[in-house]
Amino acid sequence: MNLFQQIASVTAMSLRTIPSRQGSAWVVVIGMACAVGALVSILSMSAGFLRTIENTGSPSRAIVMSDGALGEWGSTLAHGQAAIIADMPGIRRDEARKPVVSADYVGYAIVPKKSDGLDVYLTVRGVSAEYLKLRPEIRMVSGRPFRSGQYEIIVGKSAQQQFEGLQEGDKVSMPEGDWLVTGTFESGGNANESELLTDSATLQSAMHTSNYNSMTVLLEAPGSFASFKGGLTSRPGPALEINRESEYYAEQSKSFSGFLKTVAYVVGGIMGLGAMFGALNTMYSAVSARSREIATLRALGFGNGAVVISVMAESFLLCLAGAAIGVAFAWALFNGYQHAMGGLVIRLAVTEQLALTGVGFALLLGAIGGLFPALRAARMPVVEALRAV
Amino acid sequence: MKYLPLILAGLWRKPTRTIFTFLSIVVAFVLFGILSAIDGGLAHQLEVARLDRLLVDTKFGAQLPLAYLDRIAQIPGVTVVAPRQILVGYYQDPKTPFGIIMTDRRFWSVRPELNATPEQIDRLLKTRTGALITVFSAKRFGWKVGQRVPVISNTVNKAGNHTWTFDIVGIIDDIDRPGKARYFIGNYEFMDQERVTQKGTVDRILVRIKDPNRATQIGRAIDRLFANSTAPTRTVSEKSDRQTGSRALGDIGFFTRAVITAVLFMLLFLTGNTMMQSVRERVPEFGVLKTLGYSDRGVLALVLAEAVVLCLLAAATGLAFAKLGIPRIGDISPDMGQLLLMPWSALLTGLGFAMAVAIVSALIPALRAKRLNIVDSLAGR
Repeated sequence: MNLFQQIASVTAMSLRTIPSRQGSAWVVVIGMACAVGALVSILSMSAGFLRTIENTGSPSRAIVMSDGALGEWGSTLAHGQAAIIADMPGIRRDEARKPVVSADYVGYAIVPKKSDGLDVYLTVRGVSAEYLKLRPEIRMVSGRPFRSGQYEIIVGKSAQQQFEGLQEGDKVSMPEGDWLVTGTFESGGNANESELLTDSATLQSAMHTSNYNSMTVLLEAPGSFASFKGGLTSRPGPALEINRESEYYAEQSKSFSGFLKTVAYVVGGIMGLGAMFGALNTMYSAVSARSREIATLRALGFGNGAVVISVMAESFLLCLAGAAIGVAFAWALFNGYQHAMGGLVIRLAVTEQLALTGVGFALLLGAIGGLFPALRAARMPVVEALRAV
Repeated sequence: MKYLPLILAGLWRKPTRTIFTFLSIVVAFVLFGILSAIDGGLAHQLEVARLDRLLVDTKFGAQLPLAYLDRIAQIPGVTVVAPRQILVGYYQDPKTPFGIIMTDRRFWSVRPELNATPEQIDRLLKTRTGALITVFSAKRFGWKVGQRVPVISNTVNKAGNHTWTFDIVGIIDDIDRPGKARYFIGNYEFMDQERVTQKGTVDRILVRIKDPNRATQIGRAIDRLFANSTAPTRTVSEKSDRQTGSRALGDIGFFTRAVITAVLFMLLFLTGNTMMQSVRERVPEFGVLKTLGYSDRGVLALVLAEAVVLCLLAAATGLAFAKLGIPRIGDISPDMGQLLLMPWSALLTGLGFAMAVAIVSALIPALRAKRLNIVDSLAGR
């Protein structure tokens, strides 16, 4: 028999004996299911957050803020600056030769979360008339758009689902009185969908300001970013922070998603360590329960390699079963689950990549949990093991 | 106590198995300790929130004029009012921005938990660019008294640049959260003279009141005062502000409970399996014990006791690691360390859980040992 046939037959034999050792096999499966389930569940939050933020930015748009601003909230653009930016080269123009841009003024509204009644700050984004051309992913699903000059807002679907008092016809407490919700929009579940939109000039006048926070422009093509940025930096005047929109949002999400990943790996890692000790226990007891059988095989001329691999294969298989259960649980409980982080609504996502991460993690632990018992099986002195019969 | 050697001998019969089970339980309770510390840190922040303190914020984003302070001070029941303007900036690393509290003398009466001495406060007020920082901030940035620190802010100053230089005049601490509170406090006057926009305004007004029971009433009275102005206010108690803040990520309590449940579930199977195997192997030995006159209940108690000793020892080890290790996390990552606080009560809860896991998981094997009859068990059947 060649090595492969040996491995196949020994492995098949060991797998057939699992039912008689059910109790300890379940320890590995359940341990791995818990560890992988925890890891994948927490990672799904990070993946959902990343997806929400990153889907907000597009490589064919650019966002301009004041110099040194760490985000829109810390940025101020004077009224005159907005007009200068809109005149730059590289900006797409519509049929009427008007540049497709939106100078945004952001404010906020305080609304209670449905789940616990605690107040959160929701972004109210004042946008220019061109906003639908600029952000084609925004789509009205019901109601009508806000009118300029009226205290009216439209509400993102995610925000409407998670927070109180945002149905069409509801009034939201904002500067200068109550603003009427006139419609609902979808935006592919991205960060905009957690926002309220209104006319920027109306919001600015209610806030007694003429400044903007940021300016977003649609580029002629993704490649026009360089000429747009070049035009803007070579012009005299205060320095500006100019970023491709996709890069800006990727940067914004980095540190928090990194934090969530750390939490996931710390919690999952510690649980995995516990599960790995369980696997070591199980595999050591499997080896000792099968010591006569293994000794007999080796006396018959089966190689050490076949014995080692068969033990490892059993460990892998049990861990794999556990990982599958863990991923399935995480998927059933959390995939698509809507969750509000402050004023940002995300949808948790158990992606294929996360499922693979969970499986890889379980296999890694299974390798360690199987290796040492496998080596013991291979080193077992044949004569002594048979004498025990 | 006289049975302890017997219990230990039973556990030590298969050292490898006992050690791995022990390690699993240790690891699980280290995690339990860390998760309790996350909960504990949040709970502590709420606990030390003073009920006699109100925070007056802007309702829609407009800065609050300084004139509001005097008007709030006239409301009956208000004892102290202090201005606060945050200057956001970073020191060397743009990725870790922090806030500097720009305020005046009144701040120290609003926050008596800060242990600044009268001399330190005087020195701060006399040094225009002075700053008092907490032990935490000093450690985080490696600053010492007398050092000049340039902070890059997005707020432009009169000189037309973003650099604000402070002189550290003293190091203080928060007696409610020693070593964990991040404060960097400067003079409001200095900032207001140097900045070019929003002069004469603040982003928050801190209010202290005589009677905590009147917090809601006084809060409403303040908001009513400015309801029809260009800068309406929103007054909340410090406690509800922290409550909102601690929920910003979502329900962390739910998360920690879910993980703890999963861990205990895993342990139940693990310990249960270990005890089951151990009892199965020792059937003849239990027969011998019964022959020697041990009662059925005695054998049951023996098996349960083995599980309890194993779980309690391992849980105590894990909890001790967590309790001793968590303060060290702050040395590696100050931001994480700041959030964690493992209360002593978590040790008791942990041991309680360990006890419960031991008894539930060992019950079936123990009952089996109890029911064994002498003849069959001696024959190994």
